[in-house]
Amino acid sequence: MREGTLFEFESPEQLLSAVVALRALGFARLEAYTPYPVPEVDAKLGIPRTRIPIAVFVAAMVGCAVAFAIEWGTNAYDYPLDVGGRPVSSLPADIPIMFETTVLFGSLAAFLLVFVRAGLPRLHRPIFEVDGFESASIDRFWIGIEQSAPIEDAVRTAMTDLGARTVRTLGSRP
Amino acid sequence: MTVAASTPIALRALVDPDVADERVLLGTQSDAELTDQLLGVVLHPPRWISRALVVTGFGSLFLFLALAYTITTGVGVWGNNIPVAWAFAITNFVWWIGIGHAGTFISAFLLLLEQKWRTSINRFAEAMTLFAIVQAGLFPVLHMGRCWFFYWLVPYPSTMQVWPQFRSSLTWDVAAVSTYFSVSLMFWYLGLVPDLAVMRDRAPERWRRRLYGLFALGWSGSSREWSRYRIAYGLLGGFACPLVISVHSIVSMDFAIAQLPGWHSLIFPPYFVAGAIYSGFAMVLTLMLPARRIYRLENVITKNHLDNMGKMLLLTGCIVFYAYLCEEFIAWYGGDEFEMYTNLVARPTGPYAMAFWTVIFCNCIAPQVLWWKKIRTTPATLWTVTIFVQIGMWLERYMLIVSSESRDFLPSSWRLYRPSAVDLTLLLGTMSFFLFLFLLFLRCVPFIPISEIKETKRLLREEVAHA
Repeated sequence: MREGTLFEFESPEQLLSAVVALRALGFARLEAYTPYPVPEVDAKLGIPRTRIPIAVFVAAMVGCAVAFAIEWGTNAYDYPLDVGGRPVSSLPADIPIMFETTVLFGSLAAFLLVFVRAGLPRLHRPIFEVDGFESASIDRFWIGIEQSAPIEDAVRTAMTDLGARTVRTLGSRP
Repeated sequence: MTVAASTPIALRALVDPDVADERVLLGTQSDAELTDQLLGVVLHPPRWISRALVVTGFGSLFLFLALAYTITTGVGVWGNNIPVAWAFAITNFVWWIGIGHAGTFISAFLLLLEQKWRTSINRFAEAMTLFAIVQAGLFPVLHMGRCWFFYWLVPYPSTMQVWPQFRSSLTWDVAAVSTYFSVSLMFWYLGLVPDLAVMRDRAPERWRRRLYGLFALGWSGSSREWSRYRIAYGLLGGFACPLVISVHSIVSMDFAIAQLPGWHSLIFPPYFVAGAIYSGFAMVLTLMLPARRIYRLENVITKNHLDNMGKMLLLTGCIVFYAYLCEEFIAWYGGDEFEMYTNLVARPTGPYAMAFWTVIFCNCIAPQVLWWKKIRTTPATLWTVTIFVQIGMWLERYMLIVSSESRDFLPSSWRLYRPSAVDLTLLLGTMSFFLFLFLLFLRCVPFIPISEIKETKRLLREEVAHA
């Protein structure tokens, strides 16, 4: 979020009702900031379910294939070694490493995508300039309306009625 | 559903969510107060911690001296001989890697089983895992002899035109242990990021806000971030569950694939995994009970946590006991005279009989006191049991390795083993280094997950409201 208006609430319940109210007023570009996950808010904000699992599945399968390619390529194709007449390419012996790389690649994808998809890591974000926004990681629940035009007074009043403690603006608007 | 407090049926609460969820959080603090209490462990550290860091840091110096001596002189400075070639190094490796298992077990399995009591202890246990793997990794690398060629384990196109032999369980070990470390690190760090952001927002000093802000990677706590975080954290948990099982199974295959009497046994993978979780839970408790008392964390690590951990200890201890019995039975029932000799004669009555009977006492008899709830929920008694388990599990691996290797098939090649001073220094040095790293973690990182505790608090509050 780069510019817009932020409201601070005291509880997740207030946050949820405020999100519902703002959506009813026609605001589409909303974002909530909470100290811990509040899963109910995702649906109300219209956040689609993340596609990270699909990417993780693909990465895990790639990991599995890479391990088999290395094991087969080195031990069966490039330098086959006869150890007591055992088959040079034997799946049971290959499985442990294939499993480990499946897990490794999948986990790496899951870990990295959480940050990459959010545009992180970043040293600075405009929202951190907002006065009092630190409370979003402690015990307050913030909603941001992303729009460059100022918010009408009616919306402010509606939010205050729902329990908004403070209203802040973000951005270089005069 | 209610279970009488004095019922000694330990397993019941494990499957009974009503009991397992009871009292995982005490007190009526607000979120802000809770945050400040949990940040306090870093912002207002107890005075003893810097002294403890100096002491354990000094102890770690001996580890580095012993390492330097071993590397510059050669593994001949150890007590290893032929046939006892594995001896202390592999004993320590298996012990440390086993300890590492509880962290991921607590984090991953209990996450997927939605056990709320996991929240207070998971980061603690994960950090313990990471530091234990660091110690564990040291030993096989040193044991290679010329440890500066460790990269030969990695398949890279070299001028020698040879590759690692992937049909050997030793190469599986490399993949398993390195994957385990990487995944544990990612799991731990992902859970840590929101709390580093709390630290960034709440720390009084500017340098601290900058430093923690750097490691928080710009986390803002937006719903989109949280929704990806939740899914990814669950996926990592899902990956970590089979990974925990696989790592010690693979370690056990180093033994099971060998022909040596006392090692060549199909029971090893489950037996090793149970033993690993057993010693890991013991180590979590050994570290957690003093920390709970010193940092006054009785409201987030409640008696209910101790009770549950005690039950896990009892359960895994019983599995280990059962595995011992199976091993002995199969040795007799299998009819192989070498197996019979090792398991039924050499171990209980041979030169390492002392180790064998200590193992039986520490791992099988001592934890039976945990059937009593009073003992599970009294920190002092619980702590004492965990020390027995630590000693027992170390000696179990020692007994397993040394008794089998020192008396294999041909009596003409039998030879006893005695550890050298360097062996003992390495073992004690890794303990010291482990404690040093752990204290550093207690000093620098909020070790009770702050955002997760607040989330749990909300869930509990909602449950109460529904009831």
